[in-house]
Amino acid sequence: MLRSMTVPLASTPVIVTHDLRKSYGPKEVVRGLNLRVGRGEVFGFLGPNGAGKSTTVKMLLGLVRPTSGQLQVLGGSPDNPAVRARLGFLPEQFRFQTWMTGDEFLTFHGQLAGLRSAEIRARVPQVLERVGLAGRGGERLEGYSKGMLQRAGLASALLARPELVFLDEPTSALDPIGRIEVRRIIEDLRGEGVSVFLNSHLLAEVEQVCDHVAFVRQGQVLRQGRLSEVMGGDLRVRVELDTAPPATLNILRSFGPILSQQAQPAGTVTLEVGLNSESQVPELARRLLDSGAQLYALTPLRPELEDIFLELVGQSGEAAPAPTNAPEAAHA
Amino acid sequence: MLKFSDFNLNPRRVGLMASLSLRESLRKRLVAVLLILTALFVGFYLYGIYRMYLDFLDRPGGLDPVTGELGSALIPVNFAAMFGMYLVTFLGSLMAVLSTVGSVSADVESGVVQSVISRPVSRAELVAGRWLGFSIVNAAYVLLVSAVMLGGVYLITGFMPPNPLAAIALIVLSILLTTALTVLGSTLFTTLANGIGVFVLYGVGMAGGFLNAIGTLVNSPVMQTLSRAANTLMPTNELWLGASYHLQHPEVNAGLKLSPVPNPLFGSDPVSPAMLLWSICLTVLAVLAAMWHFSRRDL
Repeated sequence: MLRSMTVPLASTPVIVTHDLRKSYGPKEVVRGLNLRVGRGEVFGFLGPNGAGKSTTVKMLLGLVRPTSGQLQVLGGSPDNPAVRARLGFLPEQFRFQTWMTGDEFLTFHGQLAGLRSAEIRARVPQVLERVGLAGRGGERLEGYSKGMLQRAGLASALLARPELVFLDEPTSALDPIGRIEVRRIIEDLRGEGVSVFLNSHLLAEVEQVCDHVAFVRQGQVLRQGRLSEVMGGDLRVRVELDTAPPATLNILRSFGPILSQQAQPAGTVTLEVGLNSESQVPELARRLLDSGAQLYALTPLRPELEDIFLELVGQSGEAAPAPTNAPEAAHA
Repeated sequence: MLKFSDFNLNPRRVGLMASLSLRESLRKRLVAVLLILTALFVGFYLYGIYRMYLDFLDRPGGLDPVTGELGSALIPVNFAAMFGMYLVTFLGSLMAVLSTVGSVSADVESGVVQSVISRPVSRAELVAGRWLGFSIVNAAYVLLVSAVMLGGVYLITGFMPPNPLAAIALIVLSILLTTALTVLGSTLFTTLANGIGVFVLYGVGMAGGFLNAIGTLVNSPVMQTLSRAANTLMPTNELWLGASYHLQHPEVNAGLKLSPVPNPLFGSDPVSPAMLLWSICLTVLAVLAAMWHFSRRDL
């Protein structure tokens, strides 16, 4: 049974879920999801296909009823129209009434959102321009390309000046320029204090715009936190030397484990060493030079989001086995 | 569980959804296509009545030679008007099903509904607005075609049924009921399954009239009970039979009453108040059930 939550106003999270579950018959799609998204955050929601991401977004928007657990959006229930009036949503399947023109579509959504006529007349050209559709509002949506439809959907999501915007794969139909434009829009939203819940498969995109992320698999949060924390916990350095005698190897081991060692065609040796912190790098360089080693390169390696994603969800998300004793999500 | 909040309706938002349905009907050219085809059909039918009228001009006793009033032509002209209105009712029902069959389900199947329901509009308001909008379109269609049909018959023959407004009101109620049941089906089933289901239900209503005629002919209480069950489940045929009563000249009505077997297409008595009340209740219940069910389903 769904219960309401009481969250202290001081923390002002825009989304809080606790042990959120959704089952379709015997299949449990979302299994005890715990999320907390703070106000003004750009939150990346990551996971493989079938991880329950879209179902979670739909529950947060009131489109799907949770089987059990607690959820709160903007301090209330998404079933409450007053809460939904403060949300923006770009669905993954951006299907709209294609018999309408762009202007009519946005006017209709403005009316649904409760905007006044004068405000709608002012806002429609503004949002069309913001998404790169200036001057195209008089055309019917059936004549729009997929990318233009996605832009129109984004315009609709931004129309009523929402406090929280859900973007489900917002750049799936856009060309590289369009993706950059959407990234700028998200950054602008952050600047305006608007919270963004970004559901995307494009990890590079998430890495560039999100300040918080959560990884989900099979309906459970595997890891959640500030992006810098999620990515910064695992520092490696690549060391390229002329040779790697035991004495040199011992120096390296005194800093951390040697993760790999590979001879290069040029006759040098490349090793990867795990470090505890970035502050060890100058000391490592000094010790190697003092030992007489010929140091060709010393490169700090930070894992990319993709590496963390693969490490957490496996090579194939859908085929990956269910996590056993999955860690309880650490609230950001 | 039934919650009162499921039926909270904001008139402005219901009006928005109704307006969407109206514009959708007009923009998708459904109404335009149907109006053109209907104009062709009505023109064709009225031309037939005109030719029949000309035939009676030459027949002794067909028309009063002094007043030009209908003589022996009265009965065929009255039946022609009733058959015409029967076809108007059928076309109206067809329009009600075709325009509304995907009113909710098509939007759910395509995903259009997601961007609408994520706005501050309740699901009950969406359903109520869809029913209201399509009901206005369908009722306007029936009113227009009925006026053209009866007006055409009057201009050609001078015959006007005794109580056309009561007849048209019952036909419009039948159309509102069909629209409500189609909207309900649209919240329960896929568009295709709903279309099939509503046509089958419409057939059940028609079967009620036939079962009654046969049951009376062979004096079978079981068939008459089945007829009552069919008419209760789908009262559209009963409403039509009641409407046809108001279209009958007293002489035609007397002839139908004398027949030992009820005519399955035309009723000789007005619709019972109980059936009228039940039809109105069923219409309201169908819309409420649609609102309630749609408020509960996942999208």
